[in-house]
Amino acid sequence: MHRRDLIKLSAGAALVAKAAAPHRFFTEAEYQVVDQLTEMIIPADDKSGGAKAARVADYIDARLAEAFLPEDRERWRTGLKPFVDASADQRGALLARIAASEKNPQTAEEHFFAVLKGATIQGYYTSKIGIHDELDYKGNVYQSGDYAGELP
Amino acid sequence: MIDSNHEPSPNVDLKKTYDAVIVGSGAAGGMAAHVLTSHGLKVLLLEAGKKLPIEKELKSMEWPYDHPRRGQMPPDDHPLARNEYTIRKPPYAKGLKYQHVFSYVQGWGGSDYSKNIVVDEKDHPYTGTNYAWVRARTFGGKTAIWGRLALRLSDYDFKAKTHDGYGEDWPISYADIEPYYDRVDTYLGISGLKEKLPQLPDSLFQRPNKLTKGEIMFRRSLEKRGRLITPYRAGVTTDGLKHNKYRSKCFGRGACNRRVGGCDIHAAFDSPTGLIYPAWDTGNLTVRTNATVYEVTVDKATGKASGVSFIDSESRQTYQVKAKVVVLGASTLESARLMLLSKSRQHPNGIGNSSDHVGHNFCEHIMGPSVTGIVKDLVGKPRTLDDGRPGGFYLPRFRNLSDRRSDFIRGYGFEGEAGMGIFPSHAASTPGYGAAFKKAVRDYAGAFINMGAFGEVLARYENFVDVDPQMKDRWGVPVLRFHYEFGDNERKMAVDMAESAKEMFEEAGIEIIGMDRELLPQGWSIHELGTARMGADPKKSVLNQFQQSHDVENLFVVDGSSHVSASNQNPTWTIMALCWRSCDYLADQFKKGAL
Repeated sequence: MHRRDLIKLSAGAALVAKAAAPHRFFTEAEYQVVDQLTEMIIPADDKSGGAKAARVADYIDARLAEAFLPEDRERWRTGLKPFVDASADQRGALLARIAASEKNPQTAEEHFFAVLKGATIQGYYTSKIGIHDELDYKGNVYQSGDYAGELP
Repeated sequence: MIDSNHEPSPNVDLKKTYDAVIVGSGAAGGMAAHVLTSHGLKVLLLEAGKKLPIEKELKSMEWPYDHPRRGQMPPDDHPLARNEYTIRKPPYAKGLKYQHVFSYVQGWGGSDYSKNIVVDEKDHPYTGTNYAWVRARTFGGKTAIWGRLALRLSDYDFKAKTHDGYGEDWPISYADIEPYYDRVDTYLGISGLKEKLPQLPDSLFQRPNKLTKGEIMFRRSLEKRGRLITPYRAGVTTDGLKHNKYRSKCFGRGACNRRVGGCDIHAAFDSPTGLIYPAWDTGNLTVRTNATVYEVTVDKATGKASGVSFIDSESRQTYQVKAKVVVLGASTLESARLMLLSKSRQHPNGIGNSSDHVGHNFCEHIMGPSVTGIVKDLVGKPRTLDDGRPGGFYLPRFRNLSDRRSDFIRGYGFEGEAGMGIFPSHAASTPGYGAAFKKAVRDYAGAFINMGAFGEVLARYENFVDVDPQMKDRWGVPVLRFHYEFGDNERKMAVDMAESAKEMFEEAGIEIIGMDRELLPQGWSIHELGTARMGADPKKSVLNQFQQSHDVENLFVVDGSSHVSASNQNPTWTIMALCWRSCDYLADQFKKGAL
């Protein structure tokens, strides 16, 4: 059972879980938000698991914990705050709002969407689920006979 | 393969006089070691970097998710970005607080596997005009991670002046070097498909890499124009080499193509396993790593080269070693630096530099114009294995062959590929999010095709490097100062590169989704050439046709610095063929007592 599944059980269980495997950078509330938002960006579907199953929030947490520039961490803390303050139900609308001007972001919140989406893409498509289940990547194997492909 | 027979010792014999000392262990130095030891000369090979446990560094088959940072370098390591090369001036690492600063190649995927191969810009500064200088100071040099495209030059290149009146012809023709290309092909292995093109002569190929569906379609479309794309001519042994036990045949794993480079089974040529280990096994070769050569020493009586001085890169102790012949293969820019640093009463401008041409006629390839598109028939199609190969395709030069353009001289080729890679780089530019976004990324993965141009930068005397009067590197050696700009011919060629790429894609029915018309910063090609060019006239060239100094008969410079023009083909195979030819001559002269 994953730590995140435990958290759902009760507040008490969450505390125990947190003591067992604390996040390296995110607060518990931030972590929950990132887990939810990344899954909204790359959701589970008929083909494969989504960002939650691929543990993208853990990936982002680990990258930020060791980030060399403090501003990289600050950008996330600031960007996540409106989502942390919002209820779980409101977060979808909030994400839609900052994503609407993806091509021409103006505000800090709108710029944060690119950061969030970029990290989700990076974490998801380098995961086992992303590479194998979702994209059916065929490479990185020994081809002992003929090489794949065609000759003209 | 764990190899314990080729561990360099710091305690090599520096008392004796070697027949030859070679500076540098890359393509040029490795080839010189191979050829000279095969002729029975006793050779000392000096390499400034250290010997890495290269298989452990490269870990070619490691999946991103099995690496703690998905293949990326530690966060205190910084790769220079494209705009850092243009908005600042070198030394580019100056003032950056990162622990280590690397050239732009470390910004690619899998940078953790090559971070010990390339130099830390903090230790290796340079000054002057903008230049993205990529260096590898390690046993094997840049061959540890090279791009593997192994092309021949033709008389369109060697006799370019005869063809269009510009610059100088090489002092050799294709017929002179052809037997040596053949030897390099056979000894090291090269993969490709015969095409019988006069501007891109065929090699003695092992089995080719194959094309993807999108590439086959593009090749068919190009037939209308009498052009073609051919499977990447890779300096990779695809059938294996019976005479070399240190190298495996290529199993199409594709790791070299997903990262900066490198092959942990050595199917891709690298100088240590391809050239130096076999040379070592002759018993005629001594190897000293961590030996940063800073001067070619001169015999006061004769003015000939007497050996070299070097500093131990770790202990910083200095040493001298004597040799009857000095062979420089430290790279185009490092060999020029070394010659300029080697000033003496007999050679006040630097050894071999009576012509004042050392450092000059510095040239390379322009890059930048590129095009990306979608092969619509492939959207949403079942997956195929597309990236299990050392490279995609090559589109040979088609400009200024039988025709003459009015806007620029010389030519360019394209490198490209179609099909699916391990990471969907189109995801970042796929709009939106959610289920539709995810499906779009999935459906379009495998439908992309892209190519980028490599074009000849004209050799010009005004483009040069010299030694900075003040700045020194970490070892106290004065650094290079760049004086290098693109010219009008390069800018006009770049316009045509983008236009012709667009035209060819459109004609093939490829939907263009991205175009770049801008030139990348100077140096991006990692194909620097020309700083000690060959020629018949000692007033206008540094070396003769055997890469022998006009001034100092026992000094040879066997790397890309000897090239008279850049052509638009990648230079490594020519570097090695020329070096082989010159070292045959060297050994013959040596045995006759003429050096």
